[in-house]
Amino acid sequence: MKPATLSEAEMDAISDWSESSQQLVRELLGKYPDKRSAVMPLLYVSMIENGYVTAEGMKSVAVLTGLTGAQVQSVASFYSMYKREELGKYLVSVCTSISCFLLGADDVLAAIEDETGVPDGETGHDGTFTVEHVECNGACGGAPVVLVNYEMVEGVTAEKARELVKWLRDGGPDVVGTEEMQQLFGGAKSFDWAVREPEGAVLPVPAFAPYGSARGVK
Amino acid sequence: MADLVTITVDGVAMQGKAGEVLIKVAEDNGNFIPRFCWHPRMKPVGMCRMCLVEVVGPRGRMLVPSCTTTINEGMEVDTQSAVVKKAQEGVLEYLLINHPLDCPVCDKGGECPLQDHTVAYGPGESRFVEEKRHFEKPIPISELVLLDRERCILCARCTRFSDEISGDPLIEFKDRGNAVQVITFPGEPFSSYFSGNTVQICPVGALTAKPYRFKARPWDLEAVESVSMVDSIGSKVSVQSSQNEVVRIDGIDNDATNHGWLSDKDRFVFESIHSADRITTPLIKEEGQFREATWGEALDLVAERLTSFPGAQVAGLGGANSTNEEAYTFGKFLRTIVVTPHIDAQLDDGLDPQFLVGVTPRAAIPDLETAKTILLWAADLKEEYPVLYLRVRRAAAELGANLIVVHPRATGLDDVATHKVRYRPGTGPEVLRELTGDDADYTEIREALAAGPVVGIVGRTGLGEDPRLAEAVAAFVRDFSEGKIMPLARRGNVVGALDMGLAPTLLPGRVSESAAHDVLESEWGPLPEGLGRNATSILEGLRDGELRALIMLGTDPVRDHAEPELAAAGLDGAEFVVAMDQFITDSVAAADVVFPVAGFAEVEGTVTNIEGRVQKVNRLVPSPGQTRATWSVLDDLARRMDGNLGATAAAAIAKEITGVAPAYHGVTWDALDWGDGREGLLLPLAEGVQHLEYIPVDGQLASVDARYGLHLGRVLYDDGVRVRMSPSLAALRPEGAVFLNAAALDALGLAPGSPAVVEGASGRVELPVAVDNSLGDGTVYVPANLESTRSLGAAVAVTVSPGGDA
Ligand code: SF4
Ligand code: FES
Ligand code: FES
Repeated sequence: MKPATLSEAEMDAISDWSESSQQLVRELLGKYPDKRSAVMPLLYVSMIENGYVTAEGMKSVAVLTGLTGAQVQSVASFYSMYKREELGKYLVSVCTSISCFLLGADDVLAAIEDETGVPDGETGHDGTFTVEHVECNGACGGAPVVLVNYEMVEGVTAEKARELVKWLRDGGPDVVGTEEMQQLFGGAKSFDWAVREPEGAVLPVPAFAPYGSARGVK
Repeated sequence: MADLVTITVDGVAMQGKAGEVLIKVAEDNGNFIPRFCWHPRMKPVGMCRMCLVEVVGPRGRMLVPSCTTTINEGMEVDTQSAVVKKAQEGVLEYLLINHPLDCPVCDKGGECPLQDHTVAYGPGESRFVEEKRHFEKPIPISELVLLDRERCILCARCTRFSDEISGDPLIEFKDRGNAVQVITFPGEPFSSYFSGNTVQICPVGALTAKPYRFKARPWDLEAVESVSMVDSIGSKVSVQSSQNEVVRIDGIDNDATNHGWLSDKDRFVFESIHSADRITTPLIKEEGQFREATWGEALDLVAERLTSFPGAQVAGLGGANSTNEEAYTFGKFLRTIVVTPHIDAQLDDGLDPQFLVGVTPRAAIPDLETAKTILLWAADLKEEYPVLYLRVRRAAAELGANLIVVHPRATGLDDVATHKVRYRPGTGPEVLRELTGDDADYTEIREALAAGPVVGIVGRTGLGEDPRLAEAVAAFVRDFSEGKIMPLARRGNVVGALDMGLAPTLLPGRVSESAAHDVLESEWGPLPEGLGRNATSILEGLRDGELRALIMLGTDPVRDHAEPELAAAGLDGAEFVVAMDQFITDSVAAADVVFPVAGFAEVEGTVTNIEGRVQKVNRLVPSPGQTRATWSVLDDLARRMDGNLGATAAAAIAKEITGVAPAYHGVTWDALDWGDGREGLLLPLAEGVQHLEYIPVDGQLASVDARYGLHLGRVLYDDGVRVRMSPSLAALRPEGAVFLNAAALDALGLAPGSPAVVEGASGRVELPVAVDNSLGDGTVYVPANLESTRSLGAAVAVTVSPGGDA
């Protein structure tokens, strides 16, 4: 899996991206024999660069993958984790699928909306919070579940959710990590995930190491 | 032959090929299963569920989509059961949940599959009373196409066409799920050369084309089958009119040529038919000005003037945009009434006429379906032969043929090519020698070519390229196992015109002048002795006073000849010029007398495409004003010159051709109108013979040595008269520019957009430069025949220098 060498046109398309993102692009393209297969990870890289999936970002990915803008847009608009609008510093996602719903997710969501002043699906004016409800996160045993920048907190109550929001608002960390939040605001966990997650997230982009969105060690 | 499989559909036993889908086998055997998303020329997707049928399987009866179910031996199918009916009603009720039902104001109303299926298979009423989904009513997604997302039923025919067939997926689904819609990407309009096909295959009125919108209702349309004369591929079309005005052209599916697809130029060029600029009365020039004249007056004048010159001082140009019957009459008029051998349907922009009509072994378009390897060393097919481009694209992308593209710059097929060779114009002969020799760079290509059958598509990559290079490439291809050759020249009926003898070296019926001279005299009477001049030599003769008069039939040498200055000087030098045309082109403007003649959709006749396939074109509308058929004008003229062409009707001329032209023996209009003949007849038929068997030879050309080699390549929408006279297409013509690679720009100290001068032996232009990094060192590309580029001429060796004040 040698990093790919980029053509002039491909380099042009990402000339304003950071050094590290450019390197990531080379590595990702090197992993796929057919470069259009790299469209999804590359969209995450474009989100790291721009904060969300912009028209320019899609255009760049189109050049990198040999697809048209319309094709990239088709992929980017299908998956809800590709955000197509500017987000707050913290993306707070409340699971409202069945287990979480039965254990009070609605109250949790209402508390978060109230405490942040941001309705479900929107971003606050000051750019601190984006609030959304999401489908099952696969942690049903720890319901209700809240995610901050895709870092998970399990067993959250309405009160704890308010505390979480206050903590984030009043000088929350740049790098949020699941361990810390779980300790401060979590309750019962589904089970011990065994794998320690030493890294946190700095962006509302999933902190998957291969996509390079995970930063800093907490 | 694939194995045959027997199945039973609604109790009727039928056979299909193994691997075929149920919906197709049923339809081929007379059982139509309703469908929206399935299209016989595209891969099935099973998206709309309209085609559900019951199949009896091991676990009982099961509803399956018939468009994705391949047939199995002994399969039992029920398309009529209560369960199927219920499914069909359910599917339609669902499809109509959001459909606006605005049929009374919809172009598709009356020929709409959704409308028809709703009547035939729908529930008759809906349980859905909720508000429908709303979108902004039609939004333009290109200069030609509008999209009404409310009407869309999400069958993905349009998106699949642009991805699978035309290879320019500029429309796609967005927000799949509840909010799904078909749309373009911001700033990237659906500007495909093939966009009109999506309008034709959209099963609802979601996609509409500007040139036809609100022009007619389908039930008011008159229609005839015909053949597009936009290029020499001969795509089968349905020409449709309302109140004697052509308002639409659709593609007709056939295996031979176009598979039902058309380029937007084929489809929308009909606008020119009813252009206000059509010439509708004869014109006579007096003191530099045209004045309207009567036919009698104009014919008398032309007859008198033409009689005043010795025949050999008169020449004829054109005929490649006419029908075979018109071309035949033109040739007969020139050779027997005027008695001149100086005739050319091409303008030195094509290939050697004998090579073009007589090459053996000649490839037919369907040979692309079975070819293992295709060597394409010709024009950019996407720009010049868009429908052939689709066929080659299919061969490479779908059928797995090796595609070798040799061209001075990137072409529309490069993304599906297995091998690409780019070269500086002028060095083609060297590249060919390396290819035929043992140059290590080309080992892989030689290996690919070793896998036959091989089809060699050869032609001039640009206007300046030596036509003998194409012949040398053909000679190379011929040596490979099952190597066949498809020589390309562009004008609509160029092969037909040459087949009718409109070249100095040819007589009607694919025979050489020298071989058939005496035979034809027994039919036509005395013919001029000796070989005549070709187009360039005719223009030179006129300029130098060796020739004195010129008759033009639908040709515009001033714009189309590689040396515009020579063409202008030739017309200028002629004492008398008569033009038969539909428009006052730059060349017609130089005429002394103009005869207005009928054109496409106004005349009946035959045309012959690039494979040598004869097809029928038909008349649908009357020609405007006092315009007349070309053959009848020539017949009248002949009588006034004490001759007789016997041209009483197109059908009568066709009969004469069948008798006189050896390769056309056996061709009848009846055969072309009905049955298998509707696919056209590849000549010669069993009754016919092709005397001319032209074996291409490698003339061992020398390369042209120059710092810059000019690639003067055509673009689809150029300044040809029919594009100019079709407002929808005229708006799509690109701006002229000089293209170089980035390094060349740097070396010349030019920034993109700044002026550069290109100058060669046949002219000069000064235009903004643009970057095209597909061009190699020393290649300069200028699009041919645009208003801003036409002064350049086609000489290959050019100089490039900064323009303006630099
Ligand atoms: S626009 Fe027409 S062809 Fe395209 S998906 Fe919609 S209904 Fe089908
Ligand atoms: S339902 Fe909330 S995590 Fe599964
Ligand atoms: S035609 Fe079979 S699912 Fe649409």
